[in-house]
Amino acid sequence: MSVVKTISEEALAGLVRDLVASGTRVLAPAQSSDGAVDYQAIQELGEAVLNGAMPRRSLRAALQPPTEPLFAWKRDARGLKIEPMRDPATPQVIVGARPCDAAGIEVLDKVMDWDYKDAPWFARREATTVISLACREPQPSCFCGSLGLGPSSGQGADLLLHRVDSDYLVEVLTPKGEALVAAHSARFQDTPGAEAPKPAGAADADGMLAGLAAAPQPWVKAVDEWLGTHFADELWQQISLRCLGCGGCTSVCPTCHCFDIVDEPEGTQRGLRRRNWDTCQASLFTLHASGHNPRNDQSARCRQRILHKFHIYPKRFGEVLCTGCGRCVRTCPAGVSLPEVLRDIAEKALAPEPVSGGSA
Amino acid sequence: MKELQELARTLLSEGQVKVVVGWEDSPGGPRPAFITRPEDAERLVFDHRCVHNLVAYLSPGHVDVARLGKPAVVVKGCDARAAAMLMRESQLSREDVVLIGVRCGGVVRDPREADTLTADSVAPRCPGCDARQPALADHLLGELPPPPPGENRRDKEIARLEAMRPSERWAFWQAELARCVRCNACRQVCPLCYCERCVALKTEPLWIESSAHPRGVMAWHLTRAQHHAGRCSDCGECERACPVSIMLSLLNRKAAQVVEQRFGYVASDDPAAPAPIGAFRTEDTEEFIR
Amino acid sequence: MKEFEPRLVAFVCNWCTYTGADLAGTSRLTMDPNVRIVRLPCTGRIDPLFILKAFERGADGVIVSGCHPGDCHYTAGNMHARRRFAVFQDLLHFAGVDPDRLTFSWVSASEGLKWRDIVNDAVARVRKLGPFQEYQSLSRLDEEFEGEFTSEEPAMAGRQE
Repeated sequence: MSVVKTISEEALAGLVRDLVASGTRVLAPAQSSDGAVDYQAIQELGEAVLNGAMPRRSLRAALQPPTEPLFAWKRDARGLKIEPMRDPATPQVIVGARPCDAAGIEVLDKVMDWDYKDAPWFARREATTVISLACREPQPSCFCGSLGLGPSSGQGADLLLHRVDSDYLVEVLTPKGEALVAAHSARFQDTPGAEAPKPAGAADADGMLAGLAAAPQPWVKAVDEWLGTHFADELWQQISLRCLGCGGCTSVCPTCHCFDIVDEPEGTQRGLRRRNWDTCQASLFTLHASGHNPRNDQSARCRQRILHKFHIYPKRFGEVLCTGCGRCVRTCPAGVSLPEVLRDIAEKALAPEPVSGGSA
Repeated sequence: MKELQELARTLLSEGQVKVVVGWEDSPGGPRPAFITRPEDAERLVFDHRCVHNLVAYLSPGHVDVARLGKPAVVVKGCDARAAAMLMRESQLSREDVVLIGVRCGGVVRDPREADTLTADSVAPRCPGCDARQPALADHLLGELPPPPPGENRRDKEIARLEAMRPSERWAFWQAELARCVRCNACRQVCPLCYCERCVALKTEPLWIESSAHPRGVMAWHLTRAQHHAGRCSDCGECERACPVSIMLSLLNRKAAQVVEQRFGYVASDDPAAPAPIGAFRTEDTEEFIR
Repeated sequence: MKEFEPRLVAFVCNWCTYTGADLAGTSRLTMDPNVRIVRLPCTGRIDPLFILKAFERGADGVIVSGCHPGDCHYTAGNMHARRRFAVFQDLLHFAGVDPDRLTFSWVSASEGLKWRDIVNDAVARVRKLGPFQEYQSLSRLDEEFEGEFTSEEPAMAGRQE
């Protein structure tokens, strides 16, 4: 049972001011220079656009920047010197995170702590407090509900806010959330026993996944199994036709995390090794040094994305690598719809087995 | 559009082509469709929401589409320019594609955002268009609609930028390009970015850093605009595909203006017109050379 | 406080400008020493990326110079360069680079005096503009990252000779 408090709009603004004054970076959905909404650093709550348009990009950049230096090297008379870049990981608080974006962070924690612990990720993770704001209504293309999340999911959040008139009901979900409330206790009021309001409407991706809720078995599991046994299905060729491999989907996704390591020399004696966002949709993503490319066409690359998210990640970590934010649908210039693909697969996976006429 | 559906049905059933690349409806608006069976031709639509440049699918590298066999592609005037450029650069043979031209009155910038074509919803490249009936086409369909609504806001924006001091313009572009994460969507959707070894992928030597820091971002966008000078068909797909809506068409449009002013060249759908970069005249402008 | 001395890189063609610059030297002409010359066979070889790289790596100004039209050792390399640079310098200006940072010239093998004037003029213009901070600070605008280098012993010692 999560502790329930209340914070008024005014007090929230005061909290933001306090955080900024103490040197904490406050990120919130806010208007970019071109008018669209992105998660950005704000100085005042008034700059934030809460429960308005969906931020264009996810919170990935807050924990894994599009480019980050890993170490620098310097060559001198004594040899090669490697200097690790130590990011002090500025404390940051995300105010008004979308539940799908917060959930994505928690999903990624698993792979980030799998074969080795991703130090830069966890350094920023520890320095980050996530205050999610439950969505009032789904946007077109959202489908978080179909994946077991929802507009008021607290996954990945330290505090979950619900808008009630001019106040916010606050669910305190983690020790980090408790610590934030304790450190700014004057801003919060106790309201034990308060009920969080039910969100209006279920998100179902323009109706793509509506029919699946009534399926006889969980469709996500059925899709998972189908994916494991249909590597060569003609479906991949069909969906890949319109995909241009632009990688826009991977750049806005809350759970995509693939990266490239590059070396950038500064002259001949110094340089930086960097980690940059990469995309499995790029034709060169799997190009071997030999010249062989196991994913040589778009159907292989499209298949990879779906397999990774809905079969491989669940196999390894027990959950899908997707939170249903719908950004991939919105940003795709070629009209590829991930929920539509999932529906097509689910229909195939859930179709009754054909009656076999002969022996097994 | 009935005319289009019938033509597609005929082309497919007679075996003239193996696939018709056009548009079909979807919850997010019209989207590229690949019709391989005559009975599916009824899915084809064309209206002012069909903003996509389908010639991108003819670009070398899209092997999935090429595998289907000889295509017919529905093209607006701007799309036909891209096809002409691919032919000019020997990336596409005229006889390997059937071009179905459609008469066009402009398209919306984003079919997800707008259903109707207005001065506000129109794609930036449409106002003032002089290519509404593609000449490079085996068939030309549809009635000629009224000209696109709205004014040429891009040229106005370019003029506004040019009136600024260099430092102000620099600040404008730094702010605009700050959102770039080097996803390369702009390159991937462009029909004319077909280089198998893009210069931005070269690491020995490293000319264009692939990182999303401002230095790499500047090098990338300036180089891409330079490489497209005189080649860009102004289809606007780069800008539309950009997940963070960077105003890429301003750079490409500026390069096109330069090429027109200095060399008298305008992108056209005539594959025989020689490209400006690669050609020269003895009397070319050189006022900038001391 | 040292006065700002601009650093310029000049990309010049071997047959005309490089020889002209050499003539300026053998004629003992005095000129600003701020220019480092990079010799190419022809201006037609000069990729706009060379100019960008020079700015990225600390040049405050760039000079590109070659044979007069009609004199190119390879017949028409400079004609191609002329078109290419006409577009590029317009693009650079549009991006907000001050036109005085980039100088183009035709300098023939016999024009030692002209080379001196081109150099002195270019250096003076760049000196007035100051260091090209805008370009040089680009890669350090890493907003999400405030890391610093730590000073440590060498990770790998060089071979002891």
